[in-house]
Amino acid sequence: MSTEPFKRLMCLGCGFSYDEALGLPEHGLAPGTRWEDIPDDWVCPDCGTPKHMFEMVVIGYAYGQPQPSL
Amino acid sequence: MSHQFIIRNEERGHDMIKSDGSRSSYIAGHPDGFVTRASSFNFHEYQGGRPGFGPVRVFGDEVFHGTGCGYNMHPHHNFVICAFVFAGELTHINTAGGGTVDRLAAGDYYVFSAGSGGKHSELSVTPEDMHAIYLWLLPKQLYLPPSYHRAHFDFRTRRNAIVQLVGDGDGALPVDQDLRVSRLIADSGKSFAYPLRSVSHGVYVFVREGSVRCDTTVLNARDSTGIWNASTVDFEILEDDTDVIVVETLMIDDTIQQKWEHDHVHH
Repeated sequence: MSTEPFKRLMCLGCGFSYDEALGLPEHGLAPGTRWEDIPDDWVCPDCGTPKHMFEMVVIGYAYGQPQPSL
Repeated sequence: MSHQFIIRNEERGHDMIKSDGSRSSYIAGHPDGFVTRASSFNFHEYQGGRPGFGPVRVFGDEVFHGTGCGYNMHPHHNFVICAFVFAGELTHINTAGGGTVDRLAAGDYYVFSAGSGGKHSELSVTPEDMHAIYLWLLPKQLYLPPSYHRAHFDFRTRRNAIVQLVGDGDGALPVDQDLRVSRLIADSGKSFAYPLRSVSHGVYVFVREGSVRCDTTVLNARDSTGIWNASTVDFEILEDDTDVIVVETLMIDDTIQQKWEHDHVHH
């Protein structure tokens, strides 16, 4: 298990964010899925922007966010 | 020692996005409407320039050509999107708050913080082309509550002064970022000084119309410059009706810009 801190990335096409800690279970990415383990042909689920046009960000969540997915 | 870059208009990304074919679900106004976009920073197809300025990721001027042209309803998160309208009319349908249908004419502008998620559609429904400048910012925090604010800049009464449109100044629209957008419409021969808030702030200066000497650099229409590590930026107006947009920001979220500078700029 990697000790590397989890990263957050933002889509530069629409602002959709990917958090390694949370994954995207509704899109088949389990919590803890590392960015580098996502295929290169993956695209933003909201706007179709390619994976290489995401940017790593160091930005905290607003109070009460992210809300747990139900 | 201050730092500076200059982006001439011809060095920016110039795109034309048609409303037919594969883009018809994204661009409204099929089949004859089209959007033209000039981008100062990397955006969508244009990936040949600087990646941004501090938390600014998009600075572009766009024209919606043809009745019904614009962007169909699409989602955003996190980005703070500002639009400043200069000609025509922008009908803006936005889901933030309880939902809004807004109509913006010349001088009107909005700040849409997409936060935890929102959708919007932007259309030009009148016969004349719609001209706007778009500014996208990374937010201070992710998943903030979505918000929408709008205001009007009256160029008749606020001439020959640097007027803050977005930020923490009197009457400015609030934004969840350490950033201010100001506008200066001024006449030939006038001079202005813009004091930066701290040495950690920088300014991105875009000349919408006219001509200005910005410190020692002459900028003409659609030229721009970024300046940081400076205490003041001086403007000397060289043409009547010169229209300048000044974005002052804390130089944060700039890791990719520093890498770009390292790879592309030889100091």
